[in-house]
Amino acid sequence: MSGGPPKALPSTGPHSLRDMPHPLAGSSSEEAVGGDSTPSPDLLMARSFGDKDLILPNGGTPVGTSSPASSSSLLNRLQLDDDLDGETRDLFVTVDDPKKHVCTMETYITYRITTKSTRVEFDLPEYSVRRRYQDFDWLRNKLEESQPTHLIPPLPEKFVVKGVVDRFSEEFVETRRKALDKFLKRITDHPVLSFNEHFNVFLTAKDLNAYKKQGMALLTRVGESVKHVTGGYKLRSRPLEFAAIGEYLDMFALKLGTIDRIAQRIIKEEIEYLVELREYGPVYSTWSALEGELAEPLEGVSACIGNCSTALEELTDDMTEDFLPVLREYILYSDSMKSVLKKRDQVQAEYEAKLEAVALRKEDRPKVPADVEKCQDRMECFNADLKADMERWQNNKRQDFRQLLMGMADKNIQYYEKCLMAWESIIPLLQEKQEAKWQVAFTSKFEENVIPWARLTD
Amino acid sequence: MEQAPPDPERRLQPAPLEPLGHPDAGLEAVVGEEVEAARDEGSGDGTMTENNFWLKKIEISVSEAEKRTGRNAMNMQETYTAYLIETRSVEHIDGQSVLTDSLWRRYSEFELLRNYLLVYYPHVVVPPLPEKRAEFVWHKLSADNMDPDFVERRRIGLENFLLRVASHPILCRDKIFYLFLTQEGNWKETVNETGFQLKADSRLKALNATFRVKNPDKRFTELKHYSDELQSVISHLLRVRARVADRLYGVYKVHGNYGRVFSEWSAIEKEMGDGLQSAGHHMDVYASSIDDILEDEEHYADQLKEYLFYAEALRAVCRKHELMQYDLEMAAQDLASKKQQCEELATGTVRTFSLKGMTTKLFGQETPEQREARIKVLEEQINEGEQQLKSKNLEGREFVKNAWADIERFKEQKNRDLKEALISYAVMQISMCKKGIQVWTNAKECFSKM
Repeated sequence: MSGGPPKALPSTGPHSLRDMPHPLAGSSSEEAVGGDSTPSPDLLMARSFGDKDLILPNGGTPVGTSSPASSSSLLNRLQLDDDLDGETRDLFVTVDDPKKHVCTMETYITYRITTKSTRVEFDLPEYSVRRRYQDFDWLRNKLEESQPTHLIPPLPEKFVVKGVVDRFSEEFVETRRKALDKFLKRITDHPVLSFNEHFNVFLTAKDLNAYKKQGMALLTRVGESVKHVTGGYKLRSRPLEFAAIGEYLDMFALKLGTIDRIAQRIIKEEIEYLVELREYGPVYSTWSALEGELAEPLEGVSACIGNCSTALEELTDDMTEDFLPVLREYILYSDSMKSVLKKRDQVQAEYEAKLEAVALRKEDRPKVPADVEKCQDRMECFNADLKADMERWQNNKRQDFRQLLMGMADKNIQYYEKCLMAWESIIPLLQEKQEAKWQVAFTSKFEENVIPWARLTD
Repeated sequence: MEQAPPDPERRLQPAPLEPLGHPDAGLEAVVGEEVEAARDEGSGDGTMTENNFWLKKIEISVSEAEKRTGRNAMNMQETYTAYLIETRSVEHIDGQSVLTDSLWRRYSEFELLRNYLLVYYPHVVVPPLPEKRAEFVWHKLSADNMDPDFVERRRIGLENFLLRVASHPILCRDKIFYLFLTQEGNWKETVNETGFQLKADSRLKALNATFRVKNPDKRFTELKHYSDELQSVISHLLRVRARVADRLYGVYKVHGNYGRVFSEWSAIEKEMGDGLQSAGHHMDVYASSIDDILEDEEHYADQLKEYLFYAEALRAVCRKHELMQYDLEMAAQDLASKKQQCEELATGTVRTFSLKGMTTKLFGQETPEQREARIKVLEEQINEGEQQLKSKNLEGREFVKNAWADIERFKEQKNRDLKEALISYAVMQISMCKKGIQVWTNAKECFSKM
């Protein structure tokens, strides 16, 4: 894609959607219709979980022209559309197909990003590009820069914290892929972020690096101004609701941290239990070799313990791959949210300071000067965006944790069910009468001598 | 060597005995039934020996344990545990039991009884005692002999021991055993008066025989090998099981932490709060369920331990056989050499080297009278030797026959008991799995309400 003012994307395909009557054209308050493209089944299933997915208002607002007015009307639209089902979505993004690339300088993994959309902002109905972690990192930074009043979802950790994990192992790559998929889906679900220019480029550009080099960031008006907010103003009084959010996030992060530690400890204990089980089962086999009549029962017990060991290993793998990463993600999420809250505080502080300065100047002019008005604007915008995002976040968080914890319970249930089946199946073996298999004449001899003949009848 | 008259022709089934699997059940020795049956067959049958002390069905229980202090042999204060043994005779018709005897014994007296039985019944696989000191403990279990859980498990083990003896067709008839259950005072003196300690084979002698015996019965050699392997494998099993129990304990207990943190978290949540709180409660239930589970498993470990110790009893029988066989071989060897000497003296040929032969060469031959005298002595010795050899041979064969009969009985018992133990272990595991499913299903439901 060649460089150019990012406002209007040059067409890359044989025909542009612009040439056709926009299927979603109409008043902005209309419900979004499915349009020509019906989402393919795999995309539907790859959607992020949660029954209360946010529905995107049709048309949406091109990123460059957001204003306080449109922000609040956005809020209204969101509240209206909240309960619609997923059929009205018009943007679907999936991350899959990890591949390893070996180059002279480095080795890295890329993921395939598939986008399907009927939105105006996309020239083609479908895109498929390959991206690596760096690119996601870049995207997130750009989003933070350009949308400082919004909560940007977290990325999975950049570096592997606990030493010995292999960056290229199947498990690690799969865990990362899921997290990256979740990241993009969260952006997709966001009524403002999903229309972000950088996001669009990320999803569609053939050569992302060229675009990156441009270095031209398109900021919202608010974004631009927030960027220049200087720190150093002291906040007078934080509005109750934001104070409450701050306190909540502190406690929330704390509790999640504790849960993370507990979960890790459980996995550690389970692995140590597994190690012992793997030694325990075979001893029954060894014993079985010494015995005659007891040989089969003992061997049965050994096999049973082996099955339980396998089930336990599956449990620990699942918990490591599915449970822990989501917890960590939420901890990162709440950390980044705290910084957004701080920024908001700064904006408010600046406004208050400027207001006070005006009051102190004791000017006759009753009218509030333009720059103070701008500050107020900024603050109110920020507050509104943040409030809306917090509500959305709370809802999603509830769904996410509900699913996560139910999943944890499920995995444990499955583990016990597998073990139950194993033990129940050997009861008949243990109770089986062995006499029928052994000739009476042999019983007076030491049992070991009898085995070859009798065993053949099994 | 004196032995209480064994009853080798006895073909009766060993009395059905419920092994350690059911500590709370009223455990019975159906010893009396054998007697009853014998009596029904008619006293002319000769199946009732004069050493039968039980006229009725009896129940034995070690019902209590009590801490006591007293002075020991060195006149020092010591603390020990005494166990109450109650014997009841069961009325034949209505099944009611009447307490006939009740006395207190301590562990060392049980040991004394067992050592006595070992000496007097070397052809019997004598039931073992529960361990003297707690071994194979996992960390939460105390290794202290005074610990109430240990004492309780020992009480069950001692009861089991008495029942095993009482239901053994040969051992149940022993008078000392009878007195153990009925005569509290003076029993120790009575046992010691039998002089059984003197009759015991020395360890050194037994070891020597084990190395030097040339032709032991192959079955006993194989049995010895088996009992060594059994001992090794059960020890290993018990050690690993203890570690498994330790780890499992850890897994369950850590889940208890979820209870607390879910509760704290629920305090800051609106809609999620209730679900979290109640799920946390289930995590607490889960964490505390492990205590009962592992206590039940100790039971299984005790059943295995009994057979670990039985392996030693098996080896003891093998050792006895080796000793007798060695004795026999030595006697035969001695006899053979004496015969040869005699022959040489009679024929005048010196085939073997002997000091006499040397001195004869050096100092001249002995007189015919001297030689005659020597031959006569030797012939007498040979006669005696042949008698002895004959009786030793008979003894040896008797021993092998009786021992092997008891070993067969033991094998049946072992297979039955261990199968039962494995079944009850599987049942325990099944119960544990079901509890786990229940708890997590409850938790899942709470989560779903979040």
